[in-house]
Amino acid sequence: MTELQAEQAAAVPQAEAGLQRSRYFDVLIALAAFAVLAILPMLTGSKALLDFVIRCSAFGLFATSLNLLVGYTGLVSFGHGMFFGLGAYGFGLIMQRTGVPVPVAFVATLVITTIIAAVIGAICVRLKEIYFAFVTLAFQMLIHSTILSWVSLTGGDQGLRGGIPRPAFFGIDLSNHVHLYIASCALLVIGLLLMRQIAQSPFGYTLRMIRDNANRASFVGIDVWRAKLTIFVLAALFASTGGIIMALFVSGAYPEFAYWTISGEGIFINMLGGVTTFLGPMVGTVLLLILNDTVTRLTEYYGIVLGIVILFFAIGLRKGLMDFVVEWYTQRRNGPGE
Amino acid sequence: MTRTRKPGVSRRATLAMMGAGAVTFAAPWVARAQAKTIKVGMPTILSGRVAQLGTSSRNGVMLEIEKVNAAGGLAGRQIEMVIRDSKGQPQEAARVARELVNTDGCEILIDAEASSGAFAVHEVARDLGVLCLHTNSETSALTADPKQHIPNAFRTARQGVHDSIVGGSYAAAIAKAKGLKKWATCSPDYAYGRDTTGEYVTYLKRFAPDTEIISESWPKLFQPDYTEVVTKILQAKPQALYSCLWGGDLTSYIDQANIYALFSQMEVFAVNMADYTALTVVKNLPKGIHSGNRYIKTYPATPENAAWGDAYKAKYNEYPTNWSWENATAIMLLAEASKKANSADGKKIAEALRGLKIKSPFGADGTVTMRAEDQTLVGYAIGWGTTIPQEPYVPQVQAGDWKTIFELEAEWKKSKGYT
Repeated sequence: MTELQAEQAAAVPQAEAGLQRSRYFDVLIALAAFAVLAILPMLTGSKALLDFVIRCSAFGLFATSLNLLVGYTGLVSFGHGMFFGLGAYGFGLIMQRTGVPVPVAFVATLVITTIIAAVIGAICVRLKEIYFAFVTLAFQMLIHSTILSWVSLTGGDQGLRGGIPRPAFFGIDLSNHVHLYIASCALLVIGLLLMRQIAQSPFGYTLRMIRDNANRASFVGIDVWRAKLTIFVLAALFASTGGIIMALFVSGAYPEFAYWTISGEGIFINMLGGVTTFLGPMVGTVLLLILNDTVTRLTEYYGIVLGIVILFFAIGLRKGLMDFVVEWYTQRRNGPGE
Repeated sequence: MTRTRKPGVSRRATLAMMGAGAVTFAAPWVARAQAKTIKVGMPTILSGRVAQLGTSSRNGVMLEIEKVNAAGGLAGRQIEMVIRDSKGQPQEAARVARELVNTDGCEILIDAEASSGAFAVHEVARDLGVLCLHTNSETSALTADPKQHIPNAFRTARQGVHDSIVGGSYAAAIAKAKGLKKWATCSPDYAYGRDTTGEYVTYLKRFAPDTEIISESWPKLFQPDYTEVVTKILQAKPQALYSCLWGGDLTSYIDQANIYALFSQMEVFAVNMADYTALTVVKNLPKGIHSGNRYIKTYPATPENAAWGDAYKAKYNEYPTNWSWENATAIMLLAEASKKANSADGKKIAEALRGLKIKSPFGADGTVTMRAEDQTLVGYAIGWGTTIPQEPYVPQVQAGDWKTIFELEAEWKKSKGYT
C-alpha cells in the first residue's frame, strides 16, 4: 500500500497538499502525545513510571532510528549501538571536562556524531547486505575497544565516573527528576516527529525505492550512495540523542553502551515491534522494557523467558507486533469476503 | 457488514488493550506497603559468566541475615532482602537500584555489583540519598577519590591499593631472599588487571629496586586459550611471574601452563589463587604458588573464621568466596550500627557506621573497622602464602602489616592528588 502511495505522491501535485495535511496531523498527534506525557507526573507520584518513560525515550529514539536504516532503507546495521555509546560518552565528557551549558554540549555531541558517522558511513554504505552488517559491527567493536583502552579519557571499563554535572539552563534543571522526565519526553516526541517527516518526505520514499531495487533507483537518476550516507548520518544523530538521554538517566556513560549487545537489543526491539510501520520500534521498545522489568522482578532466569518470547515472535507470528496488528486490522476492516 | 462490525471490534479491542495496559502498568508499581519489616535491596549479577559473584554474595548475605533476624532484626524490624539481577549491565544496575528504592520501598541498598555497575549504583545513591554499602567493587577510586565521596555510601570490600602494597612488599622480600631480578607479568586486559598490576609493580620496585620487568602479557578477559601467553613467558625466561588473573581464567591458565611445566621454572605470584573458586577447580594445583588470601577458612586461623566457613559450607554445600565474606561483613556492620544508633533509619545508621569497629571472623586482629574519613573497610585479614595441592591449600599465610599499609596508602593518595 505504501509503495502505491509513493508512486502517486511522486507524480501528482495534489499529493503535495495531502502530504502537507498529513504533516499537520503528525504534529497534532505529537503535541497530544507530549501533553499526555507531560501531565503524567501530576497524575501519579510514581518515580518508577517516570524512570520507565525516560528509558523508553532513550531506547525508543535509538530503535526508531535503527528502523530508518533497517525498515526503510534495507540497511541492516549491526553496529548502530556505537552511536548510542558515542552520544552518551560525547555528552558526558563534554559536561565533565568543559562545564559548558547543557544545550551547547548537546549540539556539540551531535556535531561530533555527524562527523564520525559520516566517516564510518562513507566506508560502510558502499557495501551490501551481510558485508554492510559486518563492517558496521567491526566499527562498533573498534569504538568499544577504543573506549576500553583510552583509560585516561574514558575511564576504561569503569566508565565515566563521578556523575555528569548538569547546570540549570533556561530554568530547566536536569538534576530534578521531573525536569529530566519532561526533557526526555520532549526529545522523544520531537525526535519521532522529525523521523516521521524524514520517512514521509520524498527522500523517505527514495529510501524505500533503494530498499526495494537499488539498481532501478540509480537508473532513475538517484545517487544511491549519497542517499544511503545521508540516512546513515541522520539515524546516527537520533541514536546519539538516545544515548544522551541514557547518560543523563544513569549520570554516567559505560562501555556497555557501545557494545554490540546494545545493537542486538535494537534489532530485537525492531523484530518485536515490527519494521513495516513507523511506530513499530516504539511499541517494541515499550514491550521489551515492560517485559524486562516485570520478568527480572519475578525470576532471575530472565534469559529463558526472553528466549521463549523471541521464539514466539520469530516462529509463531513471523513478524513484529505492529505488523500483526495492522494486518489484522485491515483484514477485519475489509471483511472476510474481500 | 463491514460498517456494522467495525465499531464493535474496535471498542472490544480498545477495551482489551486498555485492560492489558492497565494490568502491565499497575503490576510493577503497586504502592509500597509500609510494614514493620525493613526492605534491603541488592542489585547484583546472577546471570552470565560471573553469576557466581551474585550467588556467593547472596549466600554470604543470607547467612548473616538469618542471624540478625533471629536476634530481632534492625532496631526491632525484621530484614527482608530483595535481590535482583542486573545481568552485568550498568544501566540495568542503575535501573534496578532505582526501582528497588522507588517502587519496592527498600530503605537500604547492598550494592553487590562489580566494576562499572558499582559506579552506576553509586550515582543512584548520590541521587536518592539512600544508604548504600558497596560490597564487591575493589576499585580504589570508588572511595579514595574525594570526587566520589558521598556521606551515604560505604565500602565493605577489599581495596585494590591495599592488596598491591601487601603483595609488593611480600614479593620484594622473597625476591631479595632468592635473588629474583627478572620478572614477567600476565594479567587480564581491562582496568582491574592493568591497575592492579601497575600498582603491584610499583611497590615491588619500591621495596626491591633492582628488580625489572622483562615481559608483559595481557590476555583478554575470559580468553579460552593461553598457549601463546605461556610460550611467550617461557621464552623470556623470567625468574618470577606475577598474575592477577582470577576465577575461571586463572584455573584455565594454570591447567594450560602445567602442560609446559611453567611452575617448575619460575616463582609464580598469583594474587587471586587462594580463593576456593580457583583452588578447588584447578586439576593439578602446583605446590608453591604464592597467593594473596581472598577467602580461606584457615586464615585468619581463628575458630570463628573456621566456624563461619564450615557453617557456610554446611548450608550451601560449597565453600565461601571472597565475595561471600565481603557481603557478610556488610550485614554484620549494618546490624551493629543499627544497634548503636538504636534505629533502622538510613541516616542514623550511616552516622553510626563512620569509624565503627566490630568483631569479625575476617579481621586481621579479630576486628574490622569502617574508616570514617573515606568510608571504606580497613583492618581485614590480608596476607600472602604458598599453595599445597590439598586442603588446607594455603597452610601458612604471612600477614600484611596494616601500619605499613596505612602509611603507603596515604602516600599513594597524595600522589594521586586525592588528599
